[in-house]
Amino acid sequence: MNKRGMMLPCFFAAMALLFGAGSAKAVETVAVDLAVPTITIDHTEINNGGTIKVTGQAQAGKPVYLEVWAEGHDVRANRFDSEKDKETGKRPYIFYLTGEMPAYYKIFVPKEMQAKIDEEKKKGNKWSYSELLKNLGAGDAYAVPAQAKIDRYQSTLMASVIGSRGDLLPVMDEKETRKRSMQLVKARFRSIDNVFTANVDVKPDGTYAAELNIRKGIAPGQYQVVAVVDKQAKSQPATFENKIGFPVMYLANAGTSLNLIYPFLLTLAVAIFGVLMGAGGGFIMNPLLLALFPALPHTVVAGTVTPTVLFSQGSGILNYSKIKFISWKLGCAIGCSMLLGAFIGPKLTEMITLSQFKFAFGWILLILAALMLWQTTPGYLAKNKKEQAILKEFKKRAESSAKGSN
Amino acid sequence: MKVEFWGQEFKVNMVVGCIGGFLIAVLSSMFGFGGGPFMVPLMTVALRLPMYLVVGSSLLAIFFSTTVSSLRHYQFGNFDLLFFLAMFPAAILGGYIAPQIAKRVSPTVVKRVACVGLILLALNLLGVY
Repeated sequence: MNKRGMMLPCFFAAMALLFGAGSAKAVETVAVDLAVPTITIDHTEINNGGTIKVTGQAQAGKPVYLEVWAEGHDVRANRFDSEKDKETGKRPYIFYLTGEMPAYYKIFVPKEMQAKIDEEKKKGNKWSYSELLKNLGAGDAYAVPAQAKIDRYQSTLMASVIGSRGDLLPVMDEKETRKRSMQLVKARFRSIDNVFTANVDVKPDGTYAAELNIRKGIAPGQYQVVAVVDKQAKSQPATFENKIGFPVMYLANAGTSLNLIYPFLLTLAVAIFGVLMGAGGGFIMNPLLLALFPALPHTVVAGTVTPTVLFSQGSGILNYSKIKFISWKLGCAIGCSMLLGAFIGPKLTEMITLSQFKFAFGWILLILAALMLWQTTPGYLAKNKKEQAILKEFKKRAESSAKGSN
Repeated sequence: MKVEFWGQEFKVNMVVGCIGGFLIAVLSSMFGFGGGPFMVPLMTVALRLPMYLVVGSSLLAIFFSTTVSSLRHYQFGNFDLLFFLAMFPAAILGGYIAPQIAKRVSPTVVKRVACVGLILLALNLLGVY
């Protein structure tokens, strides 16, 4: 009894010595590096997306975050703040705009945090980037977008009417910029899956491993990965390159890479159908592009589809004017009021979010569908037949007189 | 306002025409479509103008709005050149192919198909499915 009683403490003491020596030795070799996590990536090149394995060593027992961003490819992000202030109850109507949002930005968090991401996902469209960042404890990893230069404009009704963004407000301080940049990250990347993934496997001894699934359709060029434990403990950036080749091209303003053959074929089909149904292709083109290529911002879709119809409109006008089938007076008079409207519209596009864009467009399409349906009713068809006959008759006369005068 | 066209004179209610045109222009430039399908009913139904006057003149009016809207979108950095270059030739090509097909299909059938398609697209946008 007594003997055993002596044995046990001895054993423990020996164990403590052994382990103590072991950990002391570990501290000695890593002491310098402990503050700075190490990082290694298994390859430095991917082709239009791919998987990169990241491994490294960080301080034991602490979560490791990986901040990944596109270096050298920035895109625009904007947000119109019209939400009621919780304290004052006033709506600020401030328009935030930056041109320095990385074209790709994502934070990979420890895989144990999946539950927190799922929790935030339940909020649907109302998820908050800053809240999720805080819940995940990834605030220290959020560095790159916080340095973006953000302009803000005070919008007023008057400014909107004349199609201006409003008055440029003074530059924000660092803290405010950081806060607003998070909202812009959400405005730009929209879904949680685009900005967070929980798949960093952190072992108790501080080694970590993660497979970075880099999605297709992102900017080509250099990407940087930084392993972050906290503010002081950040690794050197590891760099890899995303390569793309024709027909996949990078759309600088949209901030995405796209196989250009798809929009070509889509436009061809839509243009043909558009002519047949007697409506410009824009009605079908915009929603289809938004549905098929969710990475494209709605502002770029609207802004790029619009000029594609200019040519067909111009040639149509030319053909009609050749046979003097245009009333210049009427066209220009109504055209002037439309000119004003078109001056204002594009500014409104960037002030609304994608979901508002979709909502309004949905109703416009329903109205258009109703118009189309009305045009297939027997009463309309009978009237239209007469109108078309007169139209043909007049056109014939116009054509022959145009030939005659030549 | 009075408009003369091929020997006939039409009275045009410019207040209705301008307000309607303005609203259509705001929407069409905001959402990036042409606006023809709204402009033609506005001029034929609300302004009571005959179809043969409307076809050319509405196109001219819309051309104004599309030009300004394109410039403004460009100014705000919403225009992507490469994306445009992928779509533009297709749009022109479609414009040449379509009349060949148009001779063989009934416009009423096309419109009914379009109607179904538009409703499906609309419901998709509204998040119904």
